Amino acid sequence: MLFNSLDFFIFLPVVFILYWLVFYKKIQVQNFFLLFASYVFYGLWDWRFLLLILASTLVDFFVGQTIYTSKSKKERKRWLWVSVIFNISLLGFFKYYNFFIDSWIDFLSVFGNDVKSTWTLQIILPVGISFYTFQTMSYSLDIYYKRLSPTKNFISFATFVSFFPQLVAGPIERASNLLSQISTKRAFNYTQCTDGLKLILWGLFKKVVIADSIAPIVDDIFANYNDYPASTLIMGVSLFSFQVYGDFSGYSDIAIGTAKLFGIELMSNFKFPNFSRNVAEYWQRWHVSLSTWFRHYVYIPLGGSRVSKLKSIRNIIIIFLVSGFWHGANWTFIVWGGIHAILYIPVFLMGRNRMYMNTVVAENRWLPSLTEITQILLTFFLVTFSRVFFRSQSITDALGFLEQIYSNFYYETYQHPLGYRMIDYFILLGIFVLYEYRIRKDERAPFKFTSKSTRFLIYVLVILGMLLFFDDSIDRSFIYFQF
Amino acid sequence: MKKLILKSILYVFLIIILLEGLVRVFYLGKDTPTRFLDTYEVEKWKPNQNGYSVTGNRRQNFSEYHINASGYNSYREFTPTKKKIEIALVGDSFIEGFHQNYYNSIGKKIEQKIPNIEVYEYGYAGYDFADQLHLVYSYKEQFDLIDHVVLGIKFSNDLTRGEYKVVKSRLALESPIHKILKKSKLLVYCKSIGVLDPPQELIYRITNILKPKKKIIPKNDIEIQKLKEEKDKMYLTNFKNLVSKYGYDKERFTLLLDSQITSSAFISYLEENKYNYIDFSSLFKSSDHPTTLIYDRHWNNNGRNLIAKSITDYLINKGFIKK
Repeated sequence: MLFNSLDFFIFLPVVFILYWLVFYKKIQVQNFFLLFASYVFYGLWDWRFLLLILASTLVDFFVGQTIYTSKSKKERKRWLWVSVIFNISLLGFFKYYNFFIDSWIDFLSVFGNDVKSTWTLQIILPVGISFYTFQTMSYSLDIYYKRLSPTKNFISFATFVSFFPQLVAGPIERASNLLSQISTKRAFNYTQCTDGLKLILWGLFKKVVIADSIAPIVDDIFANYNDYPASTLIMGVSLFSFQVYGDFSGYSDIAIGTAKLFGIELMSNFKFPNFSRNVAEYWQRWHVSLSTWFRHYVYIPLGGSRVSKLKSIRNIIIIFLVSGFWHGANWTFIVWGGIHAILYIPVFLMGRNRMYMNTVVAENRWLPSLTEITQILLTFFLVTFSRVFFRSQSITDALGFLEQIYSNFYYETYQHPLGYRMIDYFILLGIFVLYEYRIRKDERAPFKFTSKSTRFLIYVLVILGMLLFFDDSIDRSFIYFQF
Repeated sequence: MKKLILKSILYVFLIIILLEGLVRVFYLGKDTPTRFLDTYEVEKWKPNQNGYSVTGNRRQNFSEYHINASGYNSYREFTPTKKKIEIALVGDSFIEGFHQNYYNSIGKKIEQKIPNIEVYEYGYAGYDFADQLHLVYSYKEQFDLIDHVVLGIKFSNDLTRGEYKVVKSRLALESPIHKILKKSKLLVYCKSIGVLDPPQELIYRITNILKPKKKIIPKNDIEIQKLKEEKDKMYLTNFKNLVSKYGYDKERFTLLLDSQITSSAFISYLEENKYNYIDFSSLFKSSDHPTTLIYDRHWNNNGRNLIAKSITDYLINKGFIKK
């Protein structure tokens, strides 16, 4: 069930009303109902894969308890490996099996061995598998590192794993945040609900107006990059930056907003990454839940930055490559991760990686300084350049795309594939960037205006924007569902 | 909870009101003229209406229409006499031309090419060949005074029936409920851009939930070809039936068609039986510029110019009209 579908717009109010009017009295009932709703939400996509969620839930529920009660470190570690191997195997089979087989065949062909691909399978990637496996693993890892005590309530744990707002594309929650809230009875909070509704509205705007309207242009340019000059290709990849941001941050906003309706606060996932002043800040603002996950469970256990410079660099390279590989079973994502490692390391070596941790651009000013504008543009350019690999179907395509930019470096007016006016999209993006700049200090309050009438007018304009750019002919699924 | 529900209802109401206003101010929703069935059971627009037709989310196509006293979109009134030279264009929405300004129609373009003639455009969205011949038959006296009649025909759409009957589904759009709904420009706008499609599909799904699903058996190429031939045969029979029922003056009537999308058997039949026709396909094919609009498949200004040229050249070449 997509957040931007009619099915969800019927499902959500029904679940919301039943949750607060019928199943609100006891926490067990609240959780049981949330679990049921979550399974319905997921099962409507493909009920067979519910078994996978259930298996992952059962394994980590029992592994968590066993780790906690195990006395020796060796035993604890053994049980942790059970969780890690199980979850990674799930991911490995459904997401990476064919990739490894194909890569092996390609490798053999280098040595002249022509092996036919009889081992590859027709596997459907279960939606959200990368997200919920990481979430359940984090539970076992936190218990292992003694940061958390396991829950004895299976329903609460199952609800934590499958909580529908963030089940299919995050934010990837840690048990210390989400499970603790699920284990506590929620009371209806008017302000929390209205904040949730506002986030849902803003998320929908980003998805419907920004991401979906740009999608046909990006698709056209990447599919036919051989036919276009540099100006069009640069525009295409820049638009893709906005598309993927609108799509994924829009999804996250809807997820966070929906969770608020049920009295649950999820972590922020996007903090206006387009205003980052260097690549390190970018990663503190882009897909925060995944970066946090890798930092906590990969980077820090490897020694993080508290080891020698050389080892720190090794750790940085590892997390970026793994992060890239997490996105998809394709070399393009690994290269994308590698590029980010290359971009991050100089910032790290200069000691500027934590420089902008708790500040936003033009912190106490209306306008950014010239230096900040340059930094933002440079970061956007670098991140956008890496997206050529993220968006291309293969390394060959990505290199072809870049080669085409180099060899056809001239300007030509681009015609929208459906014949629409391109100026509409440039105006839209201009307004969007300016508005995001205006609200840049708080990603959880997109309509923070003191004047009620201004706020109301913006709601209306946001909905009008959705109508002006609504297109029922395009694929409305979210990009990150494929991960 | 009560506060949330009440405030949500209030906000939704206020937002709808404001959106309605914005849609009206920026003219995003189209005007829809009222249709009716006249004494001859000919479906047409109620006379003397004016308005604007809008296509696309962001008003990508915007044009003015004017329904004349005869109930058709035209800048001119239809007053045929023996003294003047008149041409009638009969057809569907392509001739009706809501997607163009009524003062820049195909008829007007023909009049600019051939001075001292009057072109009457009897276009109405959805008119098929049965509608067209029934109209000519019902208004025989008027059409007898017209020097030449051009009937637009799209083979795959316009010959699905062999006898004229009132299309009730079209007239249902004039039911009281539709009339009320049409008053909201926001609703008209939402419908035109497809926002209302998902709820409509959902209603359809729910109402048909208990009905057994028809099994779609995939057909092979031979079966598809056979079906096509059967269909072509049926369309040809319908053509013959309509012509024999309502009459067809081969001297004065000409069909306007695109041979690219017309069955070759039908074209052969026309040629063998001395039916005149104008084929505009070659002009469209050789055009350097697009011939249809971006937002729908109707002819754009270039397309209309080419159609006007096809008709003008035909009328002059055949000697029906002297330039």
